[in-house]
Amino acid sequence: MRENAERNPLMPEPMRIVRKYDLTESVRFFQVRPLDTQRALTLNYKPGQFMMISLAGVGEAPFSISSSPSRPGLLEFCIRRTGKVTDAIFGLKENAIIGVRGPYGNGFPFEKMEGHDIIIVVGGLGAAPLRSLVLYALDNRDSFGKVYYLHGARKPSEMLFREESFELMQRDDLICLLTVDEDDTGTWPCYKGVVTDLFKYIEDIDPENTYAAVCGPPVMYRFVIDELVKLGIPKHQILMTLERRMHCGIGKCGHCIIGSVYTCLDGPVFNYWDVLHMKDLI
Amino acid sequence: MADKPKAGFYGFTGCAGCLLTILNCEDELLDIFNAADVKSFLMANRANFEDEPLDVAFIEGSITTEEQLEKLKKIREKSKIVVAIGTCSCYGGVQAMYFGDGNFEKRWKQVYGEGKIELTEAFESKPIDEFVKVDFYLPGCPIDKKQFLEFYSQLVRGIPPRLPHYPVCAECKWNENECLLMKGKLCLGPITRGGCNARCPSDNVPCVGCFGPADEVNINSEMKLLLERNYSREEIIRRIRTFAGASFVRQFSKLLGEEAKK
Amino acid sequence: MRVFKMRKEDLREYLESLKKVGELWAPVRKGDKFVYDKIDDVDKVELKALRTILPPKKFFIPQRNTVLKYRLNNEYADPVEEVPFRILFGLHPCDINGLLILDRIYLERFPDPLYKKRRENTAIIGLSCVPDEKCLGKSTNTHYVEEGFDIALTDLDDKYLVWVSSSLGDDLVRYRIDLFDENITEDDMKQYVSWRNWRDSQYKLYYDLTGMPDIMVLSWDSPLWEELADDCLSCGMCSMVCPTCPCYNVKDITELSSDEGERIRYWDSCMYREFALVAGGHNFREARAERIKLWYTHKLKSFGHEFGKPACVGCGRCIDTCPADINVARVIKALKGEEVKV
Repeated sequence: MRENAERNPLMPEPMRIVRKYDLTESVRFFQVRPLDTQRALTLNYKPGQFMMISLAGVGEAPFSISSSPSRPGLLEFCIRRTGKVTDAIFGLKENAIIGVRGPYGNGFPFEKMEGHDIIIVVGGLGAAPLRSLVLYALDNRDSFGKVYYLHGARKPSEMLFREESFELMQRDDLICLLTVDEDDTGTWPCYKGVVTDLFKYIEDIDPENTYAAVCGPPVMYRFVIDELVKLGIPKHQILMTLERRMHCGIGKCGHCIIGSVYTCLDGPVFNYWDVLHMKDLI
Repeated sequence: MADKPKAGFYGFTGCAGCLLTILNCEDELLDIFNAADVKSFLMANRANFEDEPLDVAFIEGSITTEEQLEKLKKIREKSKIVVAIGTCSCYGGVQAMYFGDGNFEKRWKQVYGEGKIELTEAFESKPIDEFVKVDFYLPGCPIDKKQFLEFYSQLVRGIPPRLPHYPVCAECKWNENECLLMKGKLCLGPITRGGCNARCPSDNVPCVGCFGPADEVNINSEMKLLLERNYSREEIIRRIRTFAGASFVRQFSKLLGEEAKK
Repeated sequence: MRVFKMRKEDLREYLESLKKVGELWAPVRKGDKFVYDKIDDVDKVELKALRTILPPKKFFIPQRNTVLKYRLNNEYADPVEEVPFRILFGLHPCDINGLLILDRIYLERFPDPLYKKRRENTAIIGLSCVPDEKCLGKSTNTHYVEEGFDIALTDLDDKYLVWVSSSLGDDLVRYRIDLFDENITEDDMKQYVSWRNWRDSQYKLYYDLTGMPDIMVLSWDSPLWEELADDCLSCGMCSMVCPTCPCYNVKDITELSSDEGERIRYWDSCMYREFALVAGGHNFREARAERIKLWYTHKLKSFGHEFGKPACVGCGRCIDTCPADINVARVIKALKGEEVKV
């Protein structure tokens, strides 16, 4: 019904902010639910997909979905305050109505990833899309081999989902390694250093049978990819999700174009081979 | 709107045409005054309150005397947001066309001889951001009514307004005009910010640059194309300096005269 | 495809009749150039007009249009928009090919209802043309069309061959069937063949573009892009006039007197610095040379992953428009190592 060709794909659906709290000083977590209950229960998406959040009068911007489709009913976003739209979103209270449309983008190919070991590498705000994948993998634990979660942040206070990650460390079906560049608290219980320092703790994986998923600030990719290549993971199994400017999310406005591809249609998840042949991807 | 923002409209050196443009919004005038609590608007109000803090101050005109400067600083101090409206306020305007050429004293003497102004000290006319922080710019000589209304509507709702990022050429092509630069005219469309709906070129008049520089200006290429069309360097520089001299000089001091650098 | 013929002197009367069916739009003179305009007086129609300042994309993706209406409390509604039935007369093969590319972007994945409605409410009547020194259609292989129009006329000295390629086109012919003759003779066929040969020989610009996508790949680090960037004014006019530049920007305009507003989209260009700038200040294509390279990647290599086809349709508008003389011909010549006139 929703995919009806006559429906204006640029039309946001009304959704309610049911909960919000600050993850860090500049990043806020939002739980959002479609006003239409039926829609709330049937809205399906893939980890790695994104949605356009619309605030009437202000504009629209793309945001990765941080929740997992394995936990239906709510959509979750973590949003950093960086511009006009996010400023306005930060001004909203719980119960406020926002416009949301999507999901868009290719998302992670978890059909292909099933049965493989998974290494998830997060830097900073990269946790936003990859949390979805982590939760999805945990909720479908039997479908995957070993799962590594490597998360680096600048400081303890800047680590997104810090408490959640501490909980992940308690689990025995996933290896969660956390690191900070600098511990200004003096009480940081995990590793110190950059995220690539954590690669030495990865063991017993079958590289040919491993998928890696990376998301972080632009400078991070090259270093992390080097490590993954060193581990012997095939290029097309090194996945990363990228950020670009978007106004439509549906392959029209052109702002997200990289070379000949629309990030919104053909991405935002690309693999390392794409990076090699499309040049200005990262 | 329960909490109307408090607004003030002020004019310094200029022709008052921008404030007049606002007052000329006949159909929307009531909306303009309804949308904000207008504390000061000398051209429109008899009762003005200068002691109250403002959410947003709209400032027209350039600064050319010590007295104006004092007043400008006071407005800045009491206002959360300062909006420069019109090219005089944003970029100096016509009165600042020789901005930074170092010959102010000479020109002063040419006009006033040895005469002195008693009331206040006068100096070379400058855009307001030479003295205070400006939050938003709305250029134009005068400002475009439609653009002002859009801008104002955003500001009174606390949404940061945005200027068109494209040059006059974009709107000129939307209007399907013949390119005047291609026809050999001294048109500044490619280096001038859009937003006027290419008003002059649409009437076959070359753009004189009254909206100031666009987001990205390739002044060397524009210069080269105009020189190829047999305009003299002096003539081109004069035209570029006419409305937004200060802004162009800041960006391209070398090209527009070695003396231009402050 | 059905074929009719029509006496040349009957075209005027036919156009006159079409005005009763819908709005008739055709090229008219504007200064030294041409533009598509609504026709009241059919004598104003310029049959010899080669290229209009803007391509017919303006009918389907208008320079500015409303995509939705909103209230500030985030209620959204479709725009109320009357799209009249239009007959566009006089489109040349390059422009029809341009529309076919726009169709792939706007009608395939996530069909755009605003575009679709306009497309459905528009009849396209093509008209053959004789190239000038800026036409590249033969190089881009877009100088003929087999689809994308309802009716197409081929100008053969004393008559028009009338190609009908849709049911709507057939209706439009039937509407004045008295002006059309279905009896195509062998002579007509011969005349058409010799016309094609003659017309193909009229292209003054011709490049072998078969290897162009490869050459674009090899030219990634070519100094050409920096050279072009020195000249480029970043004025964006190339994008505005290109029949296959579909990109747009979006803004919300709220009424001052109420909490209602409109979200509008307006033409944008990847030549602008702001195009790939994201909130937070990172610009994915800060350098002008990078932007120019992107533009020409689309025109000469491929546009859209799935299409895999260069998007240049050889209309010559960039050649006609860019004050700094940056255009497909110059780029092709430079990359293929032929002499470039700057």
